[in-house]
Amino acid sequence: MAVITDDLALPPRRFSLATAIRRNPTITFGAVLLTALIVVAIFAPYIAYSDPFKIAPVNRLRPPSERWWFGTDQFGRDVFSRTVYGARVSLFVGLTVAAFSSLLGLALGLLCGYFRRVDGIVMRVMDGLMAIPSILLAIALITLTRPGLGIVIVAIIIPEVPRIVRVVRAVVLSIRSQPYIESAIAGGTKNAKLLMRHVLPNALAPLIVQSTYVCASAMLIEAGLSFLGAGVPPEVPSWGNIIAQGRTFFQIAPWTILIPGTFLAITVLAVNLLGDGLRDRLDPRLARRL
Amino acid sequence: MSVTSGNILEVRGLQTQFNTLDGVVRAVDGVSFDLARGETLGIVGESGCGKSVTALSILRLIPPETGRIAGGSIKFEGEELTTLGEEAMKGLRGHRISMIFQEPMTSLNPVLTVGTQIAENVVRHMGVSWRAARERSFEMLDLVRIADARRRLDEYPHQLSGGMRQRVMIALALSCDPQVLIADEPTTALDVTIQAQILDLMLELKEKTGTAIVLITHDLGVIAETTERVVVMYAGRKVEEAPVEALFAEPLHPYTRGLMRAIPRLDIEADAAGMRPRLQEIPGLVPRLTQPIPGCAFAPRCGFATERCRAEPPPLVDAGGGHTVACWEVDRVRASAL
Amino acid sequence: MSEPSVLEVEGLVKHFPIHGGLLQRRTGEVKAVDGVSFSIGRGETLGLVGESGCGKSTIGKTVLKLIEPTAGRIVLAGEDISSLKPGAMWPHRRRIQTIFQDPYSSMNPRLPSGTIVGEPLENFGLSSGRDTDERVARLFERVGLRPDAMRKYAHEFSGGQRQRLGIAKALSVNPDVIVADEPVSALDVSVQAQVLNLLIDLQEEFRLAYLFISHDLAVMRHISHRIAVMYLGRIVELTTKRTLFTQPLHPYTEALLSAATAPDPKRRQQRKRIVQGDVPSPANPPPGCHFHTRCPYAMPECKVTAPPLIEVAEGHHVACLRRPVGGDPGPLSVPG
Repeated sequence: MAVITDDLALPPRRFSLATAIRRNPTITFGAVLLTALIVVAIFAPYIAYSDPFKIAPVNRLRPPSERWWFGTDQFGRDVFSRTVYGARVSLFVGLTVAAFSSLLGLALGLLCGYFRRVDGIVMRVMDGLMAIPSILLAIALITLTRPGLGIVIVAIIIPEVPRIVRVVRAVVLSIRSQPYIESAIAGGTKNAKLLMRHVLPNALAPLIVQSTYVCASAMLIEAGLSFLGAGVPPEVPSWGNIIAQGRTFFQIAPWTILIPGTFLAITVLAVNLLGDGLRDRLDPRLARRL
Repeated sequence: MSVTSGNILEVRGLQTQFNTLDGVVRAVDGVSFDLARGETLGIVGESGCGKSVTALSILRLIPPETGRIAGGSIKFEGEELTTLGEEAMKGLRGHRISMIFQEPMTSLNPVLTVGTQIAENVVRHMGVSWRAARERSFEMLDLVRIADARRRLDEYPHQLSGGMRQRVMIALALSCDPQVLIADEPTTALDVTIQAQILDLMLELKEKTGTAIVLITHDLGVIAETTERVVVMYAGRKVEEAPVEALFAEPLHPYTRGLMRAIPRLDIEADAAGMRPRLQEIPGLVPRLTQPIPGCAFAPRCGFATERCRAEPPPLVDAGGGHTVACWEVDRVRASAL
Repeated sequence: MSEPSVLEVEGLVKHFPIHGGLLQRRTGEVKAVDGVSFSIGRGETLGLVGESGCGKSTIGKTVLKLIEPTAGRIVLAGEDISSLKPGAMWPHRRRIQTIFQDPYSSMNPRLPSGTIVGEPLENFGLSSGRDTDERVARLFERVGLRPDAMRKYAHEFSGGQRQRLGIAKALSVNPDVIVADEPVSALDVSVQAQVLNLLIDLQEEFRLAYLFISHDLAVMRHISHRIAVMYLGRIVELTTKRTLFTQPLHPYTEALLSAATAPDPKRRQQRKRIVQGDVPSPANPPPGCHFHTRCPYAMPECKVTAPPLIEVAEGHHVACLRRPVGGDPGPLSVPG
């Protein structure tokens, strides 16, 4: 009904961790898992009991045991230590790509959604960028320069930015038509303040959700690039590299692929769960009171 | 209660509740009323008073995930609806009891032509051939005075104006000759001149078909001009019931009186230019329905309220002439000036 | 009302382009407002009444310069603001404020209510910091809200309370004119009465001019001094409230009045003939007098000539070919 009830005004509810967890199981699960992985990545030197780079041909392709928890690879390097260090690469790539593409995408999206004159030009450029496959772009960039983590990150960011721009632009367009924007303009609010105070805070929720998906996809692309040899240098223990190097010995030493593969899958799952949970929580249409 | 009584619908002590994050909302809290054959009954109240939930309860359209009919009985032609199976209910809805809603655009399927939608309803309930059902759709559109009905049969809802869509909804609702038509704010979304047309049409069709109407609205003007008997609801309870003339001539519940004084009037003689009499406000807010209300729900906002009003729920008192009111202080209310 | 008017609108036109086809070419236009003139004096309420699509809300947004007029003059407190660019318009915004229909979507959900109400004060440099807080607290009190509610967010208020917030915000910069677009139509009857009373009290206290937009004749009659009736982008009748309700001259006004419901069952029998048919699309209005397709008194001439709005009696403007200057104000006869 169009009529507004007066009894809908409710006192603010007191925050309780227990109810927050009960109401948002996916957010909790994803966040706990992701936090655990970040802790592992940060404290990798303390968690890994041996040097991930140390080559010991004597101990080649040992199966998981008490000494080598996840076994060893064809150079006798400890897979557990390499996997733990690999978390650093994956999470670093994921979070950096998510942060940079969100910032860039937010800025461009705000401009496009708010200033209609820029919109046409910027959006056509974005459409062009989206047509470039990130794998090919990365291979091209790496053949032109020296392989390195930075190049991989740039190669992933470029095609991810337009995805964020699209989301932010659509959100800004819908916010712009909200009466509270008109109300603010009528109240003498100027463009810069209008953007920062009224448009931006209301556009953040969908942006956060989108950037979790970007984070997950960046980690997958990085692993794919490393696997193809177009990613981080082969000596760096990234999950993609570990899998790529273990590929030839898969039949006799499946742990070299399965273990980092599982970690990659769990990390991506955790990020996506967090994203889905946030989407449900932040979307007012899905998070109704009833 | 016997089937032989003149009532087609008998609602007794209906209680409908919703589970929300803030607790159980008692949206309808013990409402009783009857609907006679061919009668127009109005249910009036402000938003959140439970009038729409009452309608949805009769049709058993309360979303089962959050709400339920917690008590009371609804008898339609002597048959208990609260315990009726879902299949039997489906046979009833749109056939013997129909409903029209405030916003016709959301209750019509946007990808089917209006003719198809009416014909589908006819085929489902009457078991006639598709061709006969099409013919029936045409008759119905013609009956609700849609010009050029034959052509309109093949149009989609978005091609029609708001008033025309509401006419289609009425045609759809009446297509299977229902005994009861429940109209929930049928004209609230419409313009004034279109509202008048739709109300007139509903009354005219009622005369023609003998369908009893339950008209749910927040608009006392619509109630006054279309209904025969009125139930006034407040906070999920019935506070007053009376024939329409009696209700407007002498409202007995302080809430009804408050409502009538709060509306700007169009029909009072013109005042001197520039003079704007103050509207009487009802102080305070509607109570929260998550807390049990021990006494009269209106007591905190009522000028007549006593200790007893706050402690004990008032019984329905017969004020004569079919006028009943749930108020402890009805004698004092009656003695005071309107 | 003899004072110079604080808001004057002359020949206001607003056309919205319609785009169609593969290349989104301009295929036509909606004449939302089609040559409208009126003026409002200090302390006066001018009501704009009409059905959906008549252009009343567009007028409100145009005089607020939230949308640019296609043609016509808008004079606010002696200054022509009609062609001012956003930057040049800015200092004039303080003089004209607005109250919206929907108190839910007109409040930024992520700001505390005190910040929303105090924003215009800070925008125009009228106060800052502690001083703003104090002024906002006084505004809260004036519109009947508790000052300690300043820290609450809009969604924590009820519908009526939010409308009070909107009023406090509009009032904060001490404007000359307030455009109120359906400010009570989303509210329950008892709350509506509270808001209407507050609006009237504030008008008397601050000598505010209201442009009050509504579809509800009863509300209109309660709050307005003069009323303009609109139909498809044009004013068809403009006169004092008293005259409009006792002696309506335009057939459309008559139709609106007879279609309105009143809480009086005895009136049922007195109901006159109701105008039939739908309002034509504003993208393709009928030629001549827009109302002729639904008008029982229409003559052949009405299909051709668009009647101008003329003053037929003192202060009574009507746009109808059958209502000449000094003509008989009695009921019209159906031709033929």
